[in-house]
Amino acid sequence: MTRVLIADDHPMIAAALEMLLRGSDYELVGRARSGAEALNQVQRLKPDLLLLDVNMPDGSGLDVLKQLRQSRRAPATVLLTAGMDDVQLLTASVLEPEGMVLKTSDPALLLECMEQVRSGQHCIDPEIAERIDKAKEKAARAPSLTPRERELIDLVRQGLRNRDIAAQLGVTEGTVKVYLHAIFDKVGVDNRTELAMRAGELLGR
Amino acid sequence: MTVSGPQSMFKYQSGRVIAAGRVMLAFLFLLSIWLDQSQPAQAPAQTYALLLSYVLFAIGLAALTWRNWWLDARLAAPSHFIDMAVFTGIVFSTNGYTSPFFLFFILPLLSAAIRWGWRETTLTATALVLLYFAAGLLVAGTQSFELQRFIVRSGHLVILSAILIWFGIHQQFARLFFGLDELDRRLARDDDPITQALAFAMDEARAGSGALLLRSNDGQRFAGTRITKGTAHPLKVAQPLMREPLPVVLFDIERDRTLSRRNDGWHRFLPAWKLVNADALRELGAREGLISEVRSGTLQGCLLLWDMPDLSVDFLELGRELGRDAGAVIDHDALLSAIEEGAAARTRLSLARDVHDSVVQFLAGAAFRVEAIMRGSRAHKQLQSDLMELKRLLIEEQGEIRTFVSALRRDRELELAEAVEELKSLARRLGRQWSVECRVDATSDDASIPIRLQLDLQQLLREAVANAVRHGGASRIDVDVGIDEDRLRLEVKDNGSGFLPANGGTPVQPWSLKERVDRAHGSLSLFSEPGCTNLVITLPLAGAGA
Repeated sequence: MTRVLIADDHPMIAAALEMLLRGSDYELVGRARSGAEALNQVQRLKPDLLLLDVNMPDGSGLDVLKQLRQSRRAPATVLLTAGMDDVQLLTASVLEPEGMVLKTSDPALLLECMEQVRSGQHCIDPEIAERIDKAKEKAARAPSLTPRERELIDLVRQGLRNRDIAAQLGVTEGTVKVYLHAIFDKVGVDNRTELAMRAGELLGR
Repeated sequence: MTVSGPQSMFKYQSGRVIAAGRVMLAFLFLLSIWLDQSQPAQAPAQTYALLLSYVLFAIGLAALTWRNWWLDARLAAPSHFIDMAVFTGIVFSTNGYTSPFFLFFILPLLSAAIRWGWRETTLTATALVLLYFAAGLLVAGTQSFELQRFIVRSGHLVILSAILIWFGIHQQFARLFFGLDELDRRLARDDDPITQALAFAMDEARAGSGALLLRSNDGQRFAGTRITKGTAHPLKVAQPLMREPLPVVLFDIERDRTLSRRNDGWHRFLPAWKLVNADALRELGAREGLISEVRSGTLQGCLLLWDMPDLSVDFLELGRELGRDAGAVIDHDALLSAIEEGAAARTRLSLARDVHDSVVQFLAGAAFRVEAIMRGSRAHKQLQSDLMELKRLLIEEQGEIRTFVSALRRDRELELAEAVEELKSLARRLGRQWSVECRVDATSDDASIPIRLQLDLQQLLREAVANAVRHGGASRIDVDVGIDEDRLRLEVKDNGSGFLPANGGTPVQPWSLKERVDRAHGSLSLFSEPGCTNLVITLPLAGAGA
């Protein structure tokens, strides 16, 4: 029996997975509802396989995966997600989990994937693989930002007003506006809200 | 703001005010001396000749400059010197420093303060004081000289001069700008800000026609709006209307004249072709008017006004203010648009999250259940029970989505009573789903709440109930909803074991609740002990627009 830990904060998904594993070759050893709880349970229960949701409170699935990658005795991990943005996709591809499956794909795929991972192979949902390729292409096409522009984007992300940004960078408010409009044109956004929303993707952090 | 009658005749017409004052004072001098048998004390024939000439000069000057801003500006300095000379002559011919007309020195002082600034007022005041002292010295030692009266009148002159110099300084900083509150009142959000800014400027300047042009991104062309005969049309101009960057220029294309102000404040007279694009102005039908610079936070352009019956030298200042105000209107609109876009983006993200958290996750869960049922080697009875459970979940979720969609379709706010009714219905469904007793009460329900809060309330209740059952094993959950001043309060009490798991271990935090509450800028407090958990959430009513 393969010992499985489910880490998902959504009760409907967790209950359905539990039902799906019932009577199979997998033994459900625990359930976690947050990133921190998942790490704790992995250490305590030492499962063979971790079904890990990406978007969870108190540490995302990717944060958990990063931590586990530093450990020698980490369980094989299948990322189970309802959707990831480009930054998450690129991060996930770097962390190389044993499996990545979309919750919206055919559930049979999850079971197939779990089988492959159990036998030591890697398994990536074709749709996720396609999205990762696109995200990589997009990142390669992305305009290079100057250090000053990156700094300004970061300050916009923090919700600072032009006046505060100007004070912090030691320039006039007018200069900040000119810089911002140049960045809008460069990265193809229409306003600062959109820029703030895409800051993570643009800055790669 | 349209002003009519005598007020409009003198609104932004300081030249007319000075000319009219000069005519009235000249007549008053003549009349006073004619009525007073003791005057003129010295050189009567020459004094009458001087006064009569001055009356004719005042009338002629008023007639020439009444509707001619260029002549008004051109003749301002010479007429100012004539005023000073004539008033000095009249005062000397009517008993020198004891003249009853002494205080009429105020005209040159006032006209300097109104027309120019504090420097010119200071120069005028200095000249007048020196002339007065010279008169004092000339008559000092004579029998009629009264030192006390001389000192008192000198004091009057100095104090009056100081007040008018202050007035001149103050004039330089006085602004006509109507302020952001006024902007809020007057701006209609649906109208084009450029058209609104232009309409404000035309209204204030009583201009029949106008155009507001903003520089394109490539910096070469100008585009904007033109209003003629009360109708707005889009307008594009290939060349700048001003040949050099100036705050404001008055122009008269037919007479080839422009008037602007130098940096030191003095008037600058140049042929029209040197300062403005005469061909472009002629094409627009603007033969006489003003052009002022417009600067907003992000844009640059110009304001052109023509068909102005009251164009005067004062528009050198007013035009500058109108340009600033036009920039402020555009900035104000850009700011409101940014706020709206921000609010819309937040709502969009929030809706996306709600749909993701509920619909997408639910459907994924349902699909996993179907897969489990298909794969399970279950007995007929077990299979039927699983399918019944799935059907129930599907029907409930359908209800949730219907509630969610109807909330979105509503106007921006709904009555709290309505929201409470829907919460009660949700509580019944949650009670069935988790096999617990779940009740909702409201302590006050006569308020309105934004749609966004209703969606938050529903999601918070779902998560709170799920937490109470999953973590605390609660069997009864009581919910109370109310308004505390400007905040919505949601209190959830349950009889579970609290947030400490029954088998010990790390206490569980209501992360998902906390995250949602933080996003709504609310607060969450939790009291938890075995047998009783009390969760109090407050959310601000303001700033939660849909």
